[in-house]
Amino acid sequence: MVIYAIGPMTANYINVAYGTERYGTSDFFIHQLISVVLSLFVLFAAFKLPYDKIRKFAKWIMLASLLTGVALAFLALIGSSVANCAGGGCRWFRFGSLSFQPAEFIKLGVVLYLSQLAAKCKNENKLTMSDFGLPFGVVSLLALFLVVVLQNDLGSGVSLLAIILAILFMSGISIKSFLMVLVAVLIVGVLAIVTSSHRMERIMTFFGEGGSDESYQIENAMIAIGTGGLFGAGIGNSLQATGYLPESINDAIFAVMGETVGFVGLLAIVLCFMFLLSRLLKVSERMEGDTEYQLIVVGIFAWVGSQVATNIMAMTGLIPLTGVTLPFLSYGGTSMLFTAAALGLCLQISCYTGREGKHNESISSGRRFRGTHHASRSGRS
Amino acid sequence: MNKRFGFLRILLVLITITIGTRLFFVQIIEHDEWAKKAEAQHSLENTLLAKRGNIYMMDGDEPVEAVMNETVYTVIVDPMIVNKEEVKKTVTEYAGDFVTANWDDVFVDKKLRYFVVARNVPRTNAKKIEEAGLVGVWMQQGTKRVYPEGELASGLLGFVNSDGEGQYGVEGAFNEQLAGKNGLLRAVKDINGIALSIGDENVLIPAEDGENVVLSIDKNVQFFVEKTLAEKLAAVNYDKARASAIVIDPNSGKILAVANLPNYDPANYGMVKDATDYVNYAFEEAYEPASVCKTFTFATAIDTGAMTPDTTYVNYGYTTVDDTIIRNAYEGMLGNITMRIALNYSLNSGSTQALRLIGGDPNNINSAGMETLYKYYHDNFGFGQVTGVELSETNGYVPAPDSGYAMELTYANMTFGQGVSISLIQLASAFSSLINGGKYYTPTILAGKMNGDVFEKSESEVAPVRQTISEEASATMRDMIYGTRTVRRLYGIDKPGYYIGGKTGTGQVVIQRPDGTWGYSEPTGETTATYIGFGGAEGELPEYVIAVRIWGEGYHFDGGDDALPMFDKISSFMLDYLKIKPKE
Repeated sequence: MVIYAIGPMTANYINVAYGTERYGTSDFFIHQLISVVLSLFVLFAAFKLPYDKIRKFAKWIMLASLLTGVALAFLALIGSSVANCAGGGCRWFRFGSLSFQPAEFIKLGVVLYLSQLAAKCKNENKLTMSDFGLPFGVVSLLALFLVVVLQNDLGSGVSLLAIILAILFMSGISIKSFLMVLVAVLIVGVLAIVTSSHRMERIMTFFGEGGSDESYQIENAMIAIGTGGLFGAGIGNSLQATGYLPESINDAIFAVMGETVGFVGLLAIVLCFMFLLSRLLKVSERMEGDTEYQLIVVGIFAWVGSQVATNIMAMTGLIPLTGVTLPFLSYGGTSMLFTAAALGLCLQISCYTGREGKHNESISSGRRFRGTHHASRSGRS
Repeated sequence: MNKRFGFLRILLVLITITIGTRLFFVQIIEHDEWAKKAEAQHSLENTLLAKRGNIYMMDGDEPVEAVMNETVYTVIVDPMIVNKEEVKKTVTEYAGDFVTANWDDVFVDKKLRYFVVARNVPRTNAKKIEEAGLVGVWMQQGTKRVYPEGELASGLLGFVNSDGEGQYGVEGAFNEQLAGKNGLLRAVKDINGIALSIGDENVLIPAEDGENVVLSIDKNVQFFVEKTLAEKLAAVNYDKARASAIVIDPNSGKILAVANLPNYDPANYGMVKDATDYVNYAFEEAYEPASVCKTFTFATAIDTGAMTPDTTYVNYGYTTVDDTIIRNAYEGMLGNITMRIALNYSLNSGSTQALRLIGGDPNNINSAGMETLYKYYHDNFGFGQVTGVELSETNGYVPAPDSGYAMELTYANMTFGQGVSISLIQLASAFSSLINGGKYYTPTILAGKMNGDVFEKSESEVAPVRQTISEEASATMRDMIYGTRTVRRLYGIDKPGYYIGGKTGTGQVVIQRPDGTWGYSEPTGETTATYIGFGGAEGELPEYVIAVRIWGEGYHFDGGDDALPMFDKISSFMLDYLKIKPKE
């Protein structure tokens, strides 16, 4: 499974290396290299650290993550330079050259806590409004409020919402209840859009009312992808990345890769992501005995899946631009670290597949890791 | 629960298929379309502008700049990214006089990304704008023609239009040499317009600068000629009046001055009332030069041996051709007179008699005479044909003897310059051959070119292209034409020791009469006045030929009263300027 994640990472690595050579600035290459090394380390750590030992802290992790969001909002309010604001929202802490994005932390906290909450209620047959609905709703709304309203980060909001809905959907509540929640979400969503001129503009852009920065970005993303053709211009030959395409190493990395590696390369990347995601679904499905693990994996599936889908679909003009990063590929340390942690956790959980009741066994040996990995591959075929 | 997993799985597959299909469409089906857009955005095609050559005139033996270039800048803004108020304020402050755009229009369509707000901004002003460091404002370097001599010789020089193309005169005729060849830079560029080395279709063709052309025009002669003409026009004070003049070296065809008054300001060529102001009338307009042509008729008769200056005929004050009476303008000198007298008094009866004599029949104009006159006019003197000078010129028209009925009358008219149309440069070139020993030189306005600071003279050899009349006939003509100014010598206008001669012409013009019909004006009505003459030291070949013409719609100009005094002034100037010593 890890191969699917490493594939795109390698592509990113190469791309960045070429970019560095062209611009002669090693800054962002070094940053990205540090991020990649760190995230590999985090991935491995999350894989090895037995979740049973963290389990009881899930609630506190969630609270801590929400607190970072509150702290950011507070610092932004008093105008501290630690809160880094751009594009109509304050989304980062900045300490010198290091930055940290609370929204990513919140996603992880929400996944862990909501999964635990839902699993507990389900196991005790208390999927009721008071025992389940209330805490689930409060935490969800609080997280969304911090991200969407205070940080004005619709992109992270969309993926957070996807996480919440996926866990809710798989928690075992009735389809009827789920649909009611969905309808409520849609109504609030529409209201959120029409009451914000910023979001309205993005929607208008999508429906062809051009002239804004967003339409410029999408047009240039499409130019980059369209120019790629079947095989692309070759790595390092992206013209759009020379300044035409805003956020070319960030949100728009998919478009730049489209120009360099073409249809074949992009399709390979998309398939990598989809195999990874379907793999996550399979892992979750096999964990029937442990609802918490099952829901954690589903939450991470929704996390990664929603970001991949919204990013790629925005870059290809299928949906309005939201500004989310492409997991494992986009430049951005926090996002990379937390997705790595999440994936490490999934990896750990996948090892329990077919070994029910042996949760506490040590899985630290490299030999066993490889063996497990092998088994899971053959299990898929 | 498995159903719900199934649902997520289906969702995943659907999204994958959607994205895959979309990618296929964008990257494969619509590839060309996007590639075209990309190319439009990425390609940098800079024309590397060749520097237009300067135009020099002579100041004695030294070439001096008459038309040169100044570096100017075009100010362009990107409406999408500029700070509207700041840009407006800065550009207005430093280059307010050069703003060409209406500021309200500039920011209407932000998608344009390119709007020219000021043109021809001098370097110092452009530098200040640059130093203001405005975002989204950039400047393009170009050149503008500047004229150190102002309006001098504007009708001859022409101008350069806003597309950089030479128009009219020297700028038009020498456009190719002056313009040089623009180079080309084709490359892909980044968003700041910096050329990138990505791609293998980059092209660089360096520009070839234009030649610096040196004209044979002498700045001082040109200035004096224009001054003389301008004074005359000011005295006439008639807004449709025009005057042209040519000063030419009869022994080489080198043109020293070409004036077409009134001038215009070539730096603001758009300000003229009428595009006809641009015309180099001395070369480009053919007209009926009238009595100056008698010199060519007499030369033909003398060269063919049909008569001598002392041949006599009976002057009745008129002559009859084809039952039509041709009157003399001067009503005296009746009786038996010489051809010399006939030329001095510009008698139409005399030149008509010369044509009869050319045909060998003193009583009738015959076809042999007409054919001979045509041959001399057309073939020898080059009337009705371009001279071959480097500038644009007109053919004019000489009717052939077989080109219609009752040609006798037409040919009688042609002997005194009616019914035949020629340009002033044709007249000056042919007249030069009458008095220089019969050698016809192709007139030229080109002295050479400047290579850096070095003047490289034209290499073409000065050689006559044909003999129009014999050397003896030419000597005789010189003497006859000299004779026309006897009175002026008596009054001291022509100083002793100098050898100056010339001939007047007062041409009736074809006009539309009040009753709507077309025909010649009355001799006292609208007329074009011409004077052509030569000057030099007595006993030497003439050193200059001056042709002057003054005309104006509806105005009566007289060769003797209006054109002649201008010749006298210019001729005196030329004697001084060329330091011609009188014979002791």
